Amino acid sequence: MKQMPRILALLLTAVLILPLSGCGSSDGKTHLTFQIWDVAQRDGMQAMCDAYTANVNPDVVIEVQVTSWSEYWTKLEAAAESNTLPDLFWMHTDQILYYSEFGMLADVTDLFPYEEHYGEISISNAQGSDGRMYGVPKDKDNIILVYNREMFDAAGVAYPDETWTWDDLEAASQAIYDATGNYGYMAYNDEQLGYHNFVYQNGGCILTEDKTQGGFDQEATREAVEYYVNLQNNDWCPNQAYFAETSPGTAFFSGKGAMFLEGSWNLLAEMNNYPDMVGKWDIAVLPAAPDPVSGDGRATISNGLTYATGAHGKNLDITLDILTYFAGEEAQRIQGESGAAIPAYEGLEDSWISAFSGFDYQLNLDAIMTQFDYCVQYVNNSARPKWKSGVVDIMTSIYNGSVDIDTGLDNIQNLINTETSKKLADS
Amino acid sequence: MKKTTMKLSAAARREENWGYFMIAPTIIGLVVLNLWPFIQTIYTSFCEHLGFGNYKFIGIGNYVEMFQNPEVWRATWNTILFCILTVPVGLFLSLLVAMMLNAKIRGKGLFRTIFFLPMVCAPAAVTMVWRWIFNSDYGILNQIFGTNINWITDSKYVMIACAIVAIWSNIGYDAVLLLAGLQNISKSYYEAAEIDGTSKINQFLQITLPMVSPTLFVVMIMRLMSSIKVYDLIYMMVEDTNPALTSVQSLMYLFYRETFVAGSRGSGAAIVVWTVLLIGIITVIQFIGQKKWVNYDV
Repeated sequence: MKQMPRILALLLTAVLILPLSGCGSSDGKTHLTFQIWDVAQRDGMQAMCDAYTANVNPDVVIEVQVTSWSEYWTKLEAAAESNTLPDLFWMHTDQILYYSEFGMLADVTDLFPYEEHYGEISISNAQGSDGRMYGVPKDKDNIILVYNREMFDAAGVAYPDETWTWDDLEAASQAIYDATGNYGYMAYNDEQLGYHNFVYQNGGCILTEDKTQGGFDQEATREAVEYYVNLQNNDWCPNQAYFAETSPGTAFFSGKGAMFLEGSWNLLAEMNNYPDMVGKWDIAVLPAAPDPVSGDGRATISNGLTYATGAHGKNLDITLDILTYFAGEEAQRIQGESGAAIPAYEGLEDSWISAFSGFDYQLNLDAIMTQFDYCVQYVNNSARPKWKSGVVDIMTSIYNGSVDIDTGLDNIQNLINTETSKKLADS
Repeated sequence: MKKTTMKLSAAARREENWGYFMIAPTIIGLVVLNLWPFIQTIYTSFCEHLGFGNYKFIGIGNYVEMFQNPEVWRATWNTILFCILTVPVGLFLSLLVAMMLNAKIRGKGLFRTIFFLPMVCAPAAVTMVWRWIFNSDYGILNQIFGTNINWITDSKYVMIACAIVAIWSNIGYDAVLLLAGLQNISKSYYEAAEIDGTSKINQFLQITLPMVSPTLFVVMIMRLMSSIKVYDLIYMMVEDTNPALTSVQSLMYLFYRETFVAGSRGSGAAIVVWTVLLIGIITVIQFIGQKKWVNYDV
């Protein structure tokens, strides 16, 4: 370590210097970077960018770069601080309010007549606290129930359908566990892919309608969280210690469990990555709350990403033009057909479904489309970055029993309210 | 006291300037990359981070909050426990390995390479492999011993699991350093001891240990400091939804989660300053303690 060989040092220097030389465009074209976090969508994004070069502006070449989700935000924030944001990048609902509040994102409200082609949830996911749009809607998703058909057959249980409630979920899990010894529904400690769905199905909420307060003091919310947490006490459900070593997806696709909640954005990758499993599993709408405090018991969390560009970018004219293109039908269709994600552009859902046509077995993708009728917008307010990780910590301590559930939920409520009111007072 | 003023000749002064010139790259690097960030960190610890590098000075608020936070005390204890578990055992094993590698055995070069290998591997990769070894359902460790221990999710075992990985990955490096120390010991001492009929154990206690103690001391300081700063290993082993997280979370891991996950850089900086203080205290104790056992007269 102390005496690093000279060759290694030289190599390192070369590696460090190399990207610098890339800045000078030798071919007279403008080279832009487009930062994303999902490697499964790289090809789809690149196809869109290439279409822009081919059809709109041949002098612009866009390169898609992928950084893993966990590093993405650390990197992007550092880049924003030093005014070196990538020319184009994905924005997530968790962060858009924070970035727009500090004026990091270019206002894209007037680029496109969004109301005509985008749904309400897609548009609100792209808005800052001031109601302006700071991102171009990219896609929309929701959460569905993934189940193993073979295990249902083995247990002689009917496949999940729209008549299912939480009770059916439990009964089927028990039957599958008894018949096959495998886990039933795997209730994993997660928000978007876990208890948030149950809370809204039960008529509760994580944040109140005006987003100024938490909903953890409401009976419907508490009941649903408690129900969800207690699922792990059943024999047919692994506990959180299990999930710390094996994610529900890994367990499912290695045939250890019969059901889990999955985001629509992962389905294509899972079809590709587990060819042996194709035909052995399918998806269904989420089971409804059997006895909701209010509402009809149906809900699923729907989120959508956006495309954004920095407010002070060097190539702002060009990047805004690209974003206009990304908002249009052609780019959204390319995204859908590549299977990257369901286009946010209304009426192009089928383009995404067509990406699955190459497989021998057709998943019940209509379930996802049906769910858009009653989906709930992804939970967010401007203080979320301040309370998100705190809530995760409290949920973990509820799960491992170091805090009893009532105290834990009170703590969550306090945390959300304190951080939110502090944020509102600041701004 | 007599004060002597030295008058330098022009040539000597030139030479002195050259000296400064020669060390400039290192010194500038140190100031820019270490000293200045250190000062900034101290300043940040008195601020609240509003976002994107905007700070608001809030005095000692972060420190008050930090010392009221049971998680910080828990992490401090975890860090100390990690040191207690890894340093003495690690040093003992490294010394043992070093002595075996110093002995006349066949394939010495091969063994040296094997023991040094973990050092060449990326810590992240090493930890990923160990995670599979520890996996409660499919891991080889539970298979061999026929046990059913949740090594990395049970709060009773997770610290031991991390300590095992830490010791395993560091033995080779420490052993190589100690080996160098051992090889500096002149053979004549042992020959003399043989003639006097000293037992092997006494040879070790009376000759080897005192003679290698300066190296041992250096290795110990290095190992202690890096154990206090342990982060990557625990980060790779234990994800933040792991129910056993609080039983193994070190100060640096807590710092990471405060700063980069929760985004409160102020309280993160306060944790770092607290850790630096801790390292300082321990190092001072060691330097006082070394007078008792480290032998510099060779």
